[in-house]
Amino acid sequence: MRRYVLRRLAVGVLQALGITIAVFFVIRALPADPVSRIVGMNPTPESIAQARRALGLDMSLFQQLLTFLGFHGNGVFTGSLGTSWVSGSTILSEIAITLPTTIQLIVTSFIVALAVAIPIGMATARRPGGKLDKGVFGYGLFAGAQPEFWWGLMFIFVFYFKMGIAPAPLGLLDPELTAPDAVTNFILIDSLIAGDFTAFKSALGHLVLPVLTLSFLLVGPLLKMTQQSMSRVLSSEFILYQQASGLEKKSIGRSTLRAALAPIITLTGILFGFMLSGAVLVESVFSLNGLGQYSVAAVLNLDFPAVQGVILVISVISLFVYLGLDLLLAKIDPRILVK
Amino acid sequence: MTPTEALLSTRNLTVKYPYGDVQNVVIDDLNLDLYPGQIVGLLGESGSGKSSLALALMGLARHPGVVSGEVNFRGQDLLKMDDEELRQIRGNSIGLITQKPRQALDPLVNVGKQISRVYRAHSQASKEEGQIRAVELLRSVGINDAERRVSAYPHELSGGMAQRALISMALSVEPDLLIADEPTSGLDVTIQAQFLDRMWERARDANIAVLIVTQDLGIVANYCDRIVIMEDGKIIEDRTTVEFFANPHTDYGKKLILSSGADAKASNADVAVITSPEILRVTDLRKTFEVDGGKRLQAVSNASFQIHKGRSLGLVGESGSGKTTVGRLILRLADPDSGEVWFKGERIDAISPKEFRKYRSKIQAVFQDPFDSLNPRWPIERVIREPLDLHTQMNKEEKSARVKELVSLVGLTDDILPLRPGSLSAGQQQRVSLARALATEPEFLILDEPTSALPPAARADMIRLLKSLQERLDLCFIFISHDLSTVRELCHDIAVMYLSEIVEMGTSEQVFSAPSHPYTRALLDSVLFHDPNNRRVDRKIKTELEGEIPSPVDLPNGCYLAARCPIAEQRCRDDHQELIQIGPSRSVRCWKSVEASK
Repeated sequence: MRRYVLRRLAVGVLQALGITIAVFFVIRALPADPVSRIVGMNPTPESIAQARRALGLDMSLFQQLLTFLGFHGNGVFTGSLGTSWVSGSTILSEIAITLPTTIQLIVTSFIVALAVAIPIGMATARRPGGKLDKGVFGYGLFAGAQPEFWWGLMFIFVFYFKMGIAPAPLGLLDPELTAPDAVTNFILIDSLIAGDFTAFKSALGHLVLPVLTLSFLLVGPLLKMTQQSMSRVLSSEFILYQQASGLEKKSIGRSTLRAALAPIITLTGILFGFMLSGAVLVESVFSLNGLGQYSVAAVLNLDFPAVQGVILVISVISLFVYLGLDLLLAKIDPRILVK
Repeated sequence: MTPTEALLSTRNLTVKYPYGDVQNVVIDDLNLDLYPGQIVGLLGESGSGKSSLALALMGLARHPGVVSGEVNFRGQDLLKMDDEELRQIRGNSIGLITQKPRQALDPLVNVGKQISRVYRAHSQASKEEGQIRAVELLRSVGINDAERRVSAYPHELSGGMAQRALISMALSVEPDLLIADEPTSGLDVTIQAQFLDRMWERARDANIAVLIVTQDLGIVANYCDRIVIMEDGKIIEDRTTVEFFANPHTDYGKKLILSSGADAKASNADVAVITSPEILRVTDLRKTFEVDGGKRLQAVSNASFQIHKGRSLGLVGESGSGKTTVGRLILRLADPDSGEVWFKGERIDAISPKEFRKYRSKIQAVFQDPFDSLNPRWPIERVIREPLDLHTQMNKEEKSARVKELVSLVGLTDDILPLRPGSLSAGQQQRVSLARALATEPEFLILDEPTSALPPAARADMIRLLKSLQERLDLCFIFISHDLSTVRELCHDIAVMYLSEIVEMGTSEQVFSAPSHPYTRALLDSVLFHDPNNRRVDRKIKTELEGEIPSPVDLPNGCYLAARCPIAEQRCRDDHQELIQIGPSRSVRCWKSVEASK
């Protein structure tokens, strides 16, 4: 078990490194020059050469890679991802601000989405063709066909503009409040640490609409998977046998859910990895300044160190998420061997 | 029998499956009474609604079926009860054993916990008491080292072991009615006999009612008091077993009785000196397989026998005895660790696979699962033609003529040639396999359980066909089977295998009329003859085997049967037994039998 985890981590680190190096070369193969972004209009040849030197682009590609990895001073191996070409601050410090915002958004959204999808999926699997099942079918047709930013805008229109019960979709906190001291950069946690309940309530309020939007979307695939997985287990021989053995309903329900859980967990993992950078539209609509927005900006600005850093961080997080899921699956199903 | 009041009676019982707007009726307005102490056999072709009825008697239907009508159990209608009342009856007053034991167990929970859950659902027992009871129950159904087995997950159990776990669950609360849906289909014959004997005693002693769903006339004849036959969700025949065997009313019943007509007739066996040339000789064949943890599983050890032209050898044994491996070693589907295989005076086990290819057309095989052995995408014509393409120089017309000849040889007609295997019945598929095996006029055939996957009527047809081919083509073959009556009918000679060894060899006549080895005797005693007037339960069985077959990974030092043998002594447990000749073409691996024969 421990050896399995260590081996997975070792392989994962190599994978993450491989991806980063590949990205390193691919972005440099783009037919665009980051220097022209920096020097502005009508640059002199000197200023261009100076900018190239400042960014390290005058070195050979291989030397640039060695620098990035940390063979000349600070680099990936010494825990530094370099500095942004646009803002001049370190990539790590920028990710440390944007990543918690995104994680806070998607973790909450997944909790809400699973809390909705699993019970409804179970109920509709039990009564296929019932009222609830028809409702779910309608939702699937309706929600699945609309992009999330549109739903975000709709929710803002209804809940903020028309009904006025949601806060303005501008950031994580009311503008008149001061943010609590940054400890973890998770604003919910930081406000609790600071004992600032006004800020906590405001942060929670600002999270409602984005989470609603994102989970509204996530419920679709999760619900479908729960339904299918549940109805497969419900028509299985062993559930029938448990009924015939006169086991209590609660106990049969637990067995069913446990047996149906594996595909739901796998799907959750896949969606989670995807959402780390895929929540960008929702982040933009609600001006949350999360990792998705940060990575899009990095690409548009040709901020190579930022792009490399974001990709490395996302692949490391995905690595841990997948490892955790595999361990969880092995815990649920004894047939999955962890050697 | 003077039936008292019915324990369970159904009135207008109906089970429907909604299928879009159509209602698929699988049980149709059915009335059935079950009495305490009576064992009822429920027969019928697959799809007749037997299994649905077994479930409906508990008020259950497979998701999303609907049960309606009345199921009166001790005067109360199950279908009108609330969930809690129903739950108290299921698994408590009515026990169920299903036919797919492994699927019936929750794959994510160990068996001990599952048994304990059922027990605790119907008692006030604590978790610890449930666990103790689970160990007791597993031991009571003959599982060795029950303490270790309780923590095994279903995928770690053999089919037979899973079946026992299920049986122990059903019996954990001492039901008044036991419903058993093909309860022994995954079990070996000696184990099957053990289980059915115990169930029969249980029904007699505790006066419980039993409903056995089965396709096996042997079970019905030996254990059932009454027979119910279903067709299209209705009961078409319902009478006592003796009456039924004497004079079946329905077509299905007549066909069933007819298919067992040839039961247990000895083959044309003779002890005369065999003068025909030797075709196959096997000496000291040995094969082990590596299993987890570097241990070795002994599949075959010291197997030696020869087969002469025109004769057939029956290789008999329970699952895991190594009989199939012997066939695979001869066919070069696996290589032996040591020993020799000779075919017509030439050694064929040590030659390269390429050299062996020229023997392929001379040595052919038919396997157990007819569908698995045929390419589902090829039309039958191509399936049968393939060996001709590979091994002969025939032109197109010759091949097509030969294919037609083969088809009629195995009793099929030309119109199946364009069809694909999926659209044939299991019996027809097996005939196609046989036709393909015969295509190159092989001199030697290996028939590995060719009848055991077939329904009873098709099985009888297949045996008749093999018998007639044997006479017409002077075939020479090994017939691998666990079905003793089939072997008796088809084979001149018999080798009985137990745990990788041949324990007894002789002509069919010798072995069947005077079995010598205790294992052979037990095996013969387990045969369920299709005759309600000669029931196993009425005979006094002397040679019942106890418990479970030992693991072929950790074999005992002495005789492999010693732990189960009713006549074992200390010497049996100490000394490994050799196969010793006790007469012309007759040998046995048991010192006690050898002494008795002197």
